[in-house]
Amino acid sequence: MPETISDKTVFSLLEVSLSVRKTLAERYTSAFWVTAEMNKLNHYPQSGHCYPELVEKADGKVVAQLRGILWKTDYVRIDTRFQQVLKEPLRNGIKILFCAKITFDPAHGLSLTILDIDPVYSLGELEKEKMETIGRLKKDNMYDKNRLLPFPLLPKRIALISVETSKGYADFLSILDGNEWGYHFFHMLFPALLQGEKAIPSIRGQLSRIKKVIAHFDVVAIIRGGGGDVGLSCYNNYLLAKDIANFPIPVLTGIGHATNETVAEMISYKNAITPTALAGFLIQSFHNFAFPLQQAGELISSKPRELIREQHSVFSGLVKDFKSAAARTIVQNKNQLQHAAVSLFQQSRFTFNKEKERHALIPVRIGKGVRYLHQQRHHDLKRLSNDINRSALSFTAAASKDLHHFERIITSLDPAHVLTRGYSIARINGKVVNSISDAKPGDALVSEFRDGKITGRIESINEKEKQ
Amino acid sequence: MNNKPGYSEAFEELQQIVSEIEEGEISIDVLSEKVKRAAVLIKICKEKLTSTEEDVNKILKTLEGDDKA
Repeated sequence: MPETISDKTVFSLLEVSLSVRKTLAERYTSAFWVTAEMNKLNHYPQSGHCYPELVEKADGKVVAQLRGILWKTDYVRIDTRFQQVLKEPLRNGIKILFCAKITFDPAHGLSLTILDIDPVYSLGELEKEKMETIGRLKKDNMYDKNRLLPFPLLPKRIALISVETSKGYADFLSILDGNEWGYHFFHMLFPALLQGEKAIPSIRGQLSRIKKVIAHFDVVAIIRGGGGDVGLSCYNNYLLAKDIANFPIPVLTGIGHATNETVAEMISYKNAITPTALAGFLIQSFHNFAFPLQQAGELISSKPRELIREQHSVFSGLVKDFKSAAARTIVQNKNQLQHAAVSLFQQSRFTFNKEKERHALIPVRIGKGVRYLHQQRHHDLKRLSNDINRSALSFTAAASKDLHHFERIITSLDPAHVLTRGYSIARINGKVVNSISDAKPGDALVSEFRDGKITGRIESINEKEKQ
Repeated sequence: MNNKPGYSEAFEELQQIVSEIEEGEISIDVLSEKVKRAAVLIKICKEKLTSTEEDVNKILKTLEGDDKA
């Protein structure tokens, strides 16, 4: 009961609390349905009870907050139904529609005691979150980003995000490492949680570690399997999906479940239904590389031989053609030559005969010419002879006349004739004396006369006086 | 690292030679050379299928170095 202290009615805290509880109990007589985000489930494994942190947010800010109470039996029942309907356990960060009573405990304060949670509502909310993630990725042009990366020719080096002890990891490796073709894969495990809300930071953390050593890897593979189909809504988380979409090398997923495809699987470069199928895909990539190699090997051993054979047959065809063409040409030339010889022979015979005929005529013509010339000459000669005769006659007549004349002159000049006219010729030593210089006193001088000679001695010489 | 072509380059060059040989575009003069080259490329590519060049310890060292920093 309240006390009275200094005119004041004073209540104890318990009294106030009990009063509040009474008022609330009277005001909230029945349970009611509430929507809220279960920020934290706050499950206490020892007691099995949960004390969820219920909030309402507006524009990302908390505008209302109340503590919830979920007793162990209710929790187990609700959680089982959640896992059946949502394939998700009751967990942090999901929106729930729950039936609750308001309770006030003097020691623990105000809280909502959750009697039931509607899994269908949460399912819709989860679906909504998934759609939102897809919508945001598409809006930011990231939805196809990883899928449009060039795929390595040989996805040899694999960064594995998985759990070492999981069945999916073991299956994956046994297929990769035990392949019968001797393909060698390099793989390195980056261990991470693969389901439940903690998977989001765990996988993102490993992705960022892989990024630091990205040069050593061709692809990332997220491998999960054998963990049941619960707790996969983490793969619809926007941040995780964004990291995968933006990852610089192809991200492959083999998450292994029978539920709807998650966003991470939709946007990964390649999603295989199971880790086994993903290993098969990688081996197929090797086949895709190895098969053309094998074909190339076969081709380069067979085709060149074929090419050489072809060339050989082309060549021998050419040789054959050449031989026959040459033979044909020779025959043709031979024929032409023969023909030319025949025609040359005929032509020369013809020419020869013609020349012979012409030659036969020559003597006749020469005879004719000679005769003609002969006549001509004869005629000329005759004429010349006449001329000569005539000239000779006249010349003789003239000469005879001259001779006669000369004869008289000569006769008159004859010394004998001169001597008769009284002249004598003086000689000394047989030489005619023309001048006194031819003689000297004592010389014997012989004077010739018409009828003889007188010889005397020169007594003197008298030079004629000059006038 | 060595001077050998990477498998992508080797594979591409091989495909080129194969298609040239297939289409008969190769003259007899260079045929033997091309065939020799193709054999080398096939060998390189085949080795890539079965070999490993990465070293986990090296990668871990890089990671640890980074993690500390």
